Amino acid sequence: MEGVVVGQDQQQQQQQQQQQAGRVMVEGLNPAVQQQLNLESVKTRAVSLFKAISRILEEFDAIARTNALPKWQDILGQFSMVNLELYNIVEDIKKVSKAFVVHPKNVNAENAAILPVMLSSKLLPEMEVEDNVKREQLLHSMQNLSVASQIEKLKVRIDMIGAACESAEKVIADTRKAYFGTRQGPTLLPTIDKAQAAKIQEQENLLRTAVNLGEGLRIPGDQRHITSGLPGHLVDVLAVADGPQSFADSSGTYLKNTPPFSSSNVNSQGALLQVSGALRAAASPSGTTSFDTTTASPLQHVNSPRSSANMMNTPSPQQQTHQQQQQQQQQQQQQQQLQQLQQRQKMMQLPQHQQQLLAQQQLRQASIPGLGQLHGQPQMQFSQPLGAQQFQGRQLASGALHHGMGQSQLNQGNQLNRHLNQFSSPMNTALFNSAQSTPTSQMISNMSAMMPSQTLLPRMQIGMSGGTRNLAAANLSDQMFNMGGNNPGMMSIQQQQQQQHGTFANMSQNTQNLQQGMMPLQNTPQQTHPSFQQQRPQGQQ
Amino acid sequence: MECVVQGIIETQHVEALEILLQGLCGVHKQSLRIHELCLKSVPNLGLVASEIRLLCDLEQPEPTWTVRHVGGPMRGAGAEQISVLVRPMLESKVNKNALRLFNGLGYKLDHEQLRVGFAFHFQRGAQITVTISSINKMLKLHATDEALPVTPGIQLVEVTAPASSENYTEVVASVSSFCEYLAPLLHLSKPGVSTGVVPTAAAAAASLMSDGGGTK
Repeated sequence: MEGVVVGQDQQQQQQQQQQQAGRVMVEGLNPAVQQQLNLESVKTRAVSLFKAISRILEEFDAIARTNALPKWQDILGQFSMVNLELYNIVEDIKKVSKAFVVHPKNVNAENAAILPVMLSSKLLPEMEVEDNVKREQLLHSMQNLSVASQIEKLKVRIDMIGAACESAEKVIADTRKAYFGTRQGPTLLPTIDKAQAAKIQEQENLLRTAVNLGEGLRIPGDQRHITSGLPGHLVDVLAVADGPQSFADSSGTYLKNTPPFSSSNVNSQGALLQVSGALRAAASPSGTTSFDTTTASPLQHVNSPRSSANMMNTPSPQQQTHQQQQQQQQQQQQQQQLQQLQQRQKMMQLPQHQQQLLAQQQLRQASIPGLGQLHGQPQMQFSQPLGAQQFQGRQLASGALHHGMGQSQLNQGNQLNRHLNQFSSPMNTALFNSAQSTPTSQMISNMSAMMPSQTLLPRMQIGMSGGTRNLAAANLSDQMFNMGGNNPGMMSIQQQQQQQHGTFANMSQNTQNLQQGMMPLQNTPQQTHPSFQQQRPQGQQ
Repeated sequence: MECVVQGIIETQHVEALEILLQGLCGVHKQSLRIHELCLKSVPNLGLVASEIRLLCDLEQPEPTWTVRHVGGPMRGAGAEQISVLVRPMLESKVNKNALRLFNGLGYKLDHEQLRVGFAFHFQRGAQITVTISSINKMLKLHATDEALPVTPGIQLVEVTAPASSENYTEVVASVSSFCEYLAPLLHLSKPGVSTGVVPTAAAAAASLMSDGGGTK
């Protein structure tokens, strides 16, 4: 501010001087005129700068009075503008002030009064007073010493201040690094000591098993007596006369497996039992009646919700008309069923899921000759495999994945499931099952004889070409939530696989395609035997 | 179907978790006091036992009963990739005679537990329910008034959301993204997968509590 005031004074003095100089120096008139113009602009600029600075000061006053947070962004902007303006003014004045160098050539009465003022290097009085005060403070302790020592001491002081500034900057930089380091790095995470972690782990296991499995919550049988009063919500529910709920503590009788495992176990074992019962009946060489019983027993479950839907309702008239055909094929079927029985006995020794895998495969194989030879009546034959496979579907999926099969197979199964569900015809599912099993010339020729739905077949072939046999059962029922559940997630992969394997045309036209599609299947280790009847299902997939 | 994850939290941090959840969910907690009876069928009913859970909500003025059947988890490579367990679940409200009915059907009580805590129900991409409860066991049959916690220092946190086979991927995504918000306090995982306690839980809880209930 003082600078500006001084500037103004100087300007006024300059103006006066110019007028005087204009009289003294003739050549100064024209430049003086120009400079006058500049001077006026400089003056206005200086005045506006002064006003801007006073405005900022007022803002600060207001902020300080109201204790509000200053908007530093705005204030800094204003400061920068002021700074820029001042700089420009000073530059202009510097340019202009060259013209005000005074070298009077002649001292006469007019100059005499002004010249001393112009020529003096003495500061203005206020500035001089300030200067003196500061000098006093600085040299207060050193006035007695010599000038050189005073200079020394001042230098030392300056060095100390410099060192202090440097250390302060260093500390700031270090803390800044540390601050940013902790925010990003994981090194400063608190850790739990191991003993405590172990205790917590133990407790956690207790809790989780209690919630999910009921471990630790079971009251032994002898303590299961309702001794104390029942809580309110159970008082009228459990009459005390019902007696204690005895729970035989033979928990071993319950399978503690996960429910789907157990439920599929129920069904699969039931199916196996059914089938084996049927097979035993068929294995007897007694002739036609045995075949009827084999087909009759699954048919008893035709209307149950477990077997697939409604189409099974009408086979009985067909059954009677086609009995002659059945008699012809019985021996072959008996052989197969014998084999299956033997295999099933072996299966019983295998782990559960493998059993189901094998069972499914075997049952599928059982369906294949029926396919070719019972042209008009596939439904009867398929009730067996369908029945068993439905239940095994869920477990199969898990079993299959248990063996490390990829998503791809599930995808195919899912796709097929959807398509199959659309058509929901047992013929299609049977065809699919047969297609899924190992290809043989017999089957291919039989397949060409079977034309249930031409549009469905290409899709089944798609499923075949890339995958293994284990997907058949999974697709048969909507109730197999695994497949249904997997559907949306695996769509993209299914599409990829479709592209990989190409689309197959209508099967009636392209049995060759079917064979081509079968090639990958044939190359899998499961299918080393060309003769379908002798094929043994290989182990894990 | 439902998507479910479970986690544990130390009892001392439960209040902080409640504050966090209230801030995240925007709803108030609902108290929870459920007597859960797990019934298993006797061997001769079917070839394998099946399990039914009867839940009695004791918090209501009139105890309400629910029957629940929980299936096994979805399996597969896809299921292994997602961090949430998806399993079939069927639930229905029943009247109080359900217990007698199932007893008559041949289901015997296998175990029972009392869950005491609170729950948050809210919509965030899916209808999510977060329950924080201490699991209590009863030393005497049906003695819910004398239940003791199985693990006094640790409570169970469960995040569930109903799903169907068509939309379960979205529900899974919603649940997992929500669980990430709880990461400073606890880890959530599929039931049966043990997680341990999160080391930052104490600090996170302290900051939650010191804010005076402010959002995190």
